[in-house]
Amino acid sequence: MMSWFRTPPAQRSVVSVFMPVALLLAFCCVSSLLLGAGSVGPNASLQVLLGKGTSDAIFIVYELRLPRLYIGLTAGLCLGVAGALMQSVARNPLAEPGLLGVSAGSAFTVAVALTLGMSLSTLPIELAQIGALLGCFFVIGVAKMQGQRNDPVRLVLAGAALTSLLTAMTSLLLMYNEQAADEIRFWVTGSIAGRNIEQLTRVLPSLLIAFVCVLYVARPLASLALGERVAIGLGYKPSRIRLIVVLAVALLVGAATAIAGPVIFVGLVVPFAARALVGPDIRRTLWLCLPLGPLMIITADVFSRLIAQPTEMPLGVLTAIVGAPVLLAIVRAQRLPTL
Amino acid sequence: MMFSRNMFCMAWVLVGALSSFGVNAADINIKTQYGNVVVSDQVKRIVTVYDGGLDSAFALGYEPVGAIATRGGDNVPSYLQERAKNVPLVGGMQGINIEAVIAQRPDIILAPWYLPEEQYALLSRIAPTIVPTEKGIHPEAWIYELRFYAKALNREQKAEEIIEQVNGRIAELKTLVEAKIPENERGASLLRWMPQGAMVLTTEFFSNAILGQTGFNVTDAGLVKKGRPHSSALSLENLSSIDNDWIFMATLNDEAKGALAAAQTSPAFARLNVAKQDHVIPVHGQLWTSSIGPIAANAILDDIQNVIETKLK
Repeated sequence: MMSWFRTPPAQRSVVSVFMPVALLLAFCCVSSLLLGAGSVGPNASLQVLLGKGTSDAIFIVYELRLPRLYIGLTAGLCLGVAGALMQSVARNPLAEPGLLGVSAGSAFTVAVALTLGMSLSTLPIELAQIGALLGCFFVIGVAKMQGQRNDPVRLVLAGAALTSLLTAMTSLLLMYNEQAADEIRFWVTGSIAGRNIEQLTRVLPSLLIAFVCVLYVARPLASLALGERVAIGLGYKPSRIRLIVVLAVALLVGAATAIAGPVIFVGLVVPFAARALVGPDIRRTLWLCLPLGPLMIITADVFSRLIAQPTEMPLGVLTAIVGAPVLLAIVRAQRLPTL
Repeated sequence: MMFSRNMFCMAWVLVGALSSFGVNAADINIKTQYGNVVVSDQVKRIVTVYDGGLDSAFALGYEPVGAIATRGGDNVPSYLQERAKNVPLVGGMQGINIEAVIAQRPDIILAPWYLPEEQYALLSRIAPTIVPTEKGIHPEAWIYELRFYAKALNREQKAEEIIEQVNGRIAELKTLVEAKIPENERGASLLRWMPQGAMVLTTEFFSNAILGQTGFNVTDAGLVKKGRPHSSALSLENLSSIDNDWIFMATLNDEAKGALAAAQTSPAFARLNVAKQDHVIPVHGQLWTSSIGPIAANAILDDIQNVIETKLK
């Protein structure tokens, strides 16, 4: 056991790290079915899981907590993987998926829709995703126009510029429409409550595309981390790899934002935690991001229900509260898990 | 030099003459939250910086020359829009536009009880500014405010007539409610539907007070803390705690019916008995959750009467 801790992260076997994290995630998933802001406590919920229980309890566990668990798993998966891809392709540990203009793009489309008289509860789920993709394509376009496709810094800078611009426009829209502001106030903090499975199925196609992209790109991305020339020497085209990665990130973050709102911090913390556990190789980090992202969202969600009963805290607040100590611990570690 | 001194003396004489005119008119002395204020008994140009003040002014037979947009909207509350279509806006959610207020050259400004002192300092330099002394959310607040503004506008007699009319109508509806709804089926709550759940409004609220006076048994399920206008958004898991015989559901926008449809797509809401019985009444959020005044009272009574006529055979 002690030898495991002494082994440098990059030399640990992925399975030896993946299994405990996955077990922890399983534990959190069960807790998320057992605990809630309502009167149905762990005992009553356990009865339901064993096939008994009152109709109220059955409804709460299967119709409210279970869809919420699925949504949390998916959103966490998307954000964690997108974060790792983004940091790897930008070769910048501070890069997070939101920097591509993705979150700002979806927030802007949602704000426009609300200003045009739509209501948050009847908003089509695809809207946030379309906004995310538009934002991302705009950023790629700008970075390309420079003729400097091989410079990831430009990509991040263009993303930061677009994010500021869209955030300002969103604020402006909301200034002049207080009703939309009232509605979006809840959307921006993110939440996975009150969603249904049907919303999840509508983002599945884009998740599939992203999944294929990630499979295709994982190996070339790892060689790209060794340097542009190495990648070219191995027969890969860095610009094409980047394009595919950015597309995958936009699809993933767009899907997560559509189902859970712009949940902050997950895309930044999860890749860091993964690197601290298994080292910087993207092929290994991605495996770890699979359970770590959902773990973070579901832990935050369980807390969000328990802290302010009978109401709930916004998820985005809790992800920051859960994530910040993790990131601080990593910052204070002797060896910072660099890329 | 001599010339300018003469001018100065003449100016003083003029000021003295003017102010003696002021003394001759029958002034009204009214005690407001920020001290005693003297108002002429012949005010013509009224600016309101408060929905309740606008409502009271119209009810008392005045047409203000300036009003501000209501919370969550870009115009005066929609139940007053027909009456106020010629009233220019002098502010909105960004606050009161002081220059626009000055441009209307008001004789009097009707302000809310929550007007901050800094704003009072500005407004009171433009015209006598009337800030009610009674603070907070209170079931009888509309009566108190109507009387208070009526005193400043020299229409106290008219105010009593209005209060009598509203009370008469409440009593009428109460007999109707008591005749048509059995005593154990008169429970009611006022909610605001949010995408993540519901907020319950305090029973102290104006619209809830009217609802209560017409015979409904209004409750907040013990969820609203004292002094707060409403509860936080309830977790969907706790929605059953607001199940009631009747639910009046408001949204901040005009589409209360849209909110009802949205709520009904939520399985947690559709399970409630009140939803199954079709006893959820969509109401206008501006009117039911942020307005106050005699005209609002009548509009709310219209809504209640409509419920009795359409939902009960």
